[in-house]
Amino acid sequence: MLRVEGISVSYGAVQALSDVSLDVPPGRVTAVIGANGAGKSTLMRSLAGLVKPQAGRVTFEGEDITGRKPEDVARMGIALVPEGRSTIPDLTVEDNLKLGGMWRSHTQRGTSLNRVYALFPVLGERRSLGADTLSGGERQQLAIGRALMCGPQVLLLDEPSLGLAPLIVTQILELVSQMAKDSGLAVLLVEQNAATALRVAKTGIVLNLGQIVKSGPAQEIAQDEELRHAYLGY
Amino acid sequence: MIDFIDYFLGGISSGAIIALLALALVLVWRSTRVVNFAQLGQAMFTTYIALTVRDLTNSWIIGLVVAMAAGLVVGVFVHFLVIRPVKRLDTSGAIIATFGVLIALEALAAMIWGGDPEAFPPPINNSGYELFGRTWPFSPYDLLVLVSVIVLVLALSLVFTRTSVGLAMRASAFNPEVARLSGVRVSRMLVLGWAIAGLVGAVAGVLVAPLSTLSPTSFDIFLVFAFTAAVIGGLDSLVGAVAFGIGTGLVIALVSGYSDSSNAPLVALVLLVLNLLFKPEGVFSHHKARAV
Amino acid sequence: MSKIRGLTDRAPGSRLVTHAVIALVIFGILTWFNQVVDPLMSYYLATAAMYATAMFGMTILVGLSGQVSLGNGALMAVGGYIFALTSLNWQTVPILGTPWNAVWSMVFAALGGVVFGLLVGGIAARLRGPYLAGLTLGIAVGVPAIANRFPGLLGGENGLMLQVPYPAGGYASLESEIGDTEGDFDSDAGFEDEGLYEELPDDFTDQQGEEFVQDDFLTEDDFLTEDDFLTEDDFLTEDDFLTEDDFLTEDDFATDEGFEADVDSGAISDDDLLTEDDFLTEDDFATEEGFATDEVAPEEEFDEEAFGVEGDLGADVSALDGVDSGFVIEQWQASVAVAVACIVGFVALNLVRGRQGRVWQAVRDDPIAAAVSGISPSGSKVSAFVVSSLFAALAGAVFAQILSYVGPGAFTLGLSLSLLVGIVLGGRNSLIGAMIGAVILVWLPEFVLSLASDRGWEDQITNNAPNFVYGLAVVLVVLAAPGGLVGGVQSLLKRIGAR
Repeated sequence: MLRVEGISVSYGAVQALSDVSLDVPPGRVTAVIGANGAGKSTLMRSLAGLVKPQAGRVTFEGEDITGRKPEDVARMGIALVPEGRSTIPDLTVEDNLKLGGMWRSHTQRGTSLNRVYALFPVLGERRSLGADTLSGGERQQLAIGRALMCGPQVLLLDEPSLGLAPLIVTQILELVSQMAKDSGLAVLLVEQNAATALRVAKTGIVLNLGQIVKSGPAQEIAQDEELRHAYLGY
Repeated sequence: MIDFIDYFLGGISSGAIIALLALALVLVWRSTRVVNFAQLGQAMFTTYIALTVRDLTNSWIIGLVVAMAAGLVVGVFVHFLVIRPVKRLDTSGAIIATFGVLIALEALAAMIWGGDPEAFPPPINNSGYELFGRTWPFSPYDLLVLVSVIVLVLALSLVFTRTSVGLAMRASAFNPEVARLSGVRVSRMLVLGWAIAGLVGAVAGVLVAPLSTLSPTSFDIFLVFAFTAAVIGGLDSLVGAVAFGIGTGLVIALVSGYSDSSNAPLVALVLLVLNLLFKPEGVFSHHKARAV
Repeated sequence: MSKIRGLTDRAPGSRLVTHAVIALVIFGILTWFNQVVDPLMSYYLATAAMYATAMFGMTILVGLSGQVSLGNGALMAVGGYIFALTSLNWQTVPILGTPWNAVWSMVFAALGGVVFGLLVGGIAARLRGPYLAGLTLGIAVGVPAIANRFPGLLGGENGLMLQVPYPAGGYASLESEIGDTEGDFDSDAGFEDEGLYEELPDDFTDQQGEEFVQDDFLTEDDFLTEDDFLTEDDFLTEDDFLTEDDFLTEDDFATDEGFEADVDSGAISDDDLLTEDDFLTEDDFATEEGFATDEVAPEEEFDEEAFGVEGDLGADVSALDGVDSGFVIEQWQASVAVAVACIVGFVALNLVRGRQGRVWQAVRDDPIAAAVSGISPSGSKVSAFVVSSLFAALAGAVFAQILSYVGPGAFTLGLSLSLLVGIVLGGRNSLIGAMIGAVILVWLPEFVLSLASDRGWEDQITNNAPNFVYGLAVVLVVLAAPGGLVGGVQSLLKRIGAR
């Protein structure tokens, strides 16, 4: 569905990504893992349109979307949940959610909103409160909820576990994996916490210093001890 | 005591107008992080247009409506002139550019309409109400001003809090990146912010003109008042702009009444200095005004 | 100045000397220029030098230190008013005599500038961009209003007239040549010292209902320009003033009956009635020949040669006793302005091309890095304010001398904006840019005026076209050529050099 072909990205003199290719198929979670600075976030940002690659192509359903603006990419059906708490604390929880998918029809948005509240009940409880009243894990839920409001076909999750307790991380990731299976959503998950990521993913891609080191079934990668020691820190 | 009430009443209209002008400044700041010092030049220009239209059609309302439309257009025009061409203007550059626009607008207005002060006739009676045997310094026109400002502010707040467009504008101001990721066309929202600010400024200009005279530089002093009010309220806060706009108007009216009207700019200056010394980020704000 | 970039590598001492040489050379050139051109150009030179003085300060404050401030017009006002007040009240104090009084007044103006610079800088240096701009905007609008608060001391709306301390030799001698007119005129000491005041009848004051202010009297500035030739008759004497008797009352008007009655009664005689002889004919007007042939008493004769013809005033004045040769007011003003500008320019050059200049720029570009390197960002910002207001105060003092007047109308927001416009167009970061900007500020309005008279533009277009051009030019420069004229030339040279 989402295909990345040989993209390279550099920030000035620093080469963040070199010739990276991967596929993000629907209905499952694809995990990109690697140490800090491996280039994972850069990958996500280029897919979402925040960064323009110097070389390579990104296609979505066959259409070339390389270098398109983020708002256009979002409207095409690719939603990024960026690293860090990407919620707007000055707005209410519900407003944060309603921010997503404004181009969609009223009915579509209504359905999506109900779905989000069903998936994340705590958001429904606090819908009129300011987003700054939420805890870390709740804000992550809110961020994902906003992305879901865009009615995406591809969901890009950038390091959702950052700063969250392991239990919550597991909950969220399993929820996402379930969503993928149920609705055919294509999920690209970028994570430093490789173990948890590989547990929910179908395919694993290991990134190091901007290059792909290994790619294959998640279980294989999880059991490859040498690989884990070398690139994943465990 | 009667004096106090008199000065208070006298300050309500100017306070309401300063509130509108401060609101316009805050609108632009929130969307593009620029204080548009040309804002009041734009208001002056559209007020001249209103006067011309009014003289042609003999209708104040038509003049007001045309001024509002002109305000939208001029706001968009200045936005494109100052913000668009260079994506990341250094702050000094943007500030200087807005002053350039102010200078050019004042000169253009003088070239078109002349530099002499003109009278702008009020649409309804501008002499004070007569109640309980005395004339109060509050006229039907003052009431019109107050009502107009309240209506406009309410309308704007409804737009901002209840509509999708308003939400998109707020989000674009708070966190443009997240807004873009949510599919919001942020650059359009910025233009819209400037357009609305231009409209608000135009209304303020048309409302204030009958209370004094209109000349290319007559709004300069209001720029100081409006900026002071906006800063005290916190440049990010629409509510602060309105509240402190009215407050500033009242304080100035009281000071002018009890001492001398030429003290007004000094008072504004003192308020500004006090605020910048002690609470530069404003009363209602989150952000910092201090460097380093 | 880009040609001498390599000089910053040399030792500070030799750099100082180089800068001094530059300043002296420029001073020499401008002084020569001042002497050979006509007084109108001298006036332009004076104005440009005055602008340049203030703008050197703006280059440091807005350019190098990156603080966009609109307050320098108000700081010029501070300098101008202090100069005016000290020269008015002190010019009878014999501190080395005139013109050294002027120097003392300028020193006080400079001190005032430093004090205000510390005051404003202390508040402003803590502020970021738009807050700083807004505060200084308030200062620019508010400070002139202070003058209105103290009409007695500061002259209110009308301002204060100055007694400009010209070199005593020139001015006093000119007066004595004009001829003593019953002691109506005095030396620079001024009208009010003469008995003239006391000789006015009290009821004159009552008629008018207001006090005389200094402004109502003629001072030296109303006389003796190139075009005016004074005779004895131009001086006011007591007789020129109206008294009650001069005003017509009802009784003075003749009515028909009254007229006849008066004729009958003999109250009106033939002599009172107008005849042909009472009306002026052509013959009554002096013609050149007629003048020479008419019997004019020697002392009434107009000594043409004592007074100069256009452009020649300086030389002719020297024909009078005891006068310094070549004394022209505009030249004097220009030489003062140029001297101040060159001194200030020398100081500015040393600061800008020395360590302090680098410190200012470092704080502008990266305050945190600067702080880490041991530089105090707020200290450096305050110092930029103090330096720029010192320069502005001196410029204001020079301005006061050029106008012979200070008042709120001379130090408006428009002045502050002009200073900003000047450095932006010339080049924010360059002292040469400041000088270019000063020239533009003086040249453009005159250029527009000449265009206007050629094409018959109306006044309101002519007067405002320069500002319109300035505004547009500022926006264009900021967007397309942020370095102004100087920056544009530099990048052009780089591109040519790179090929």
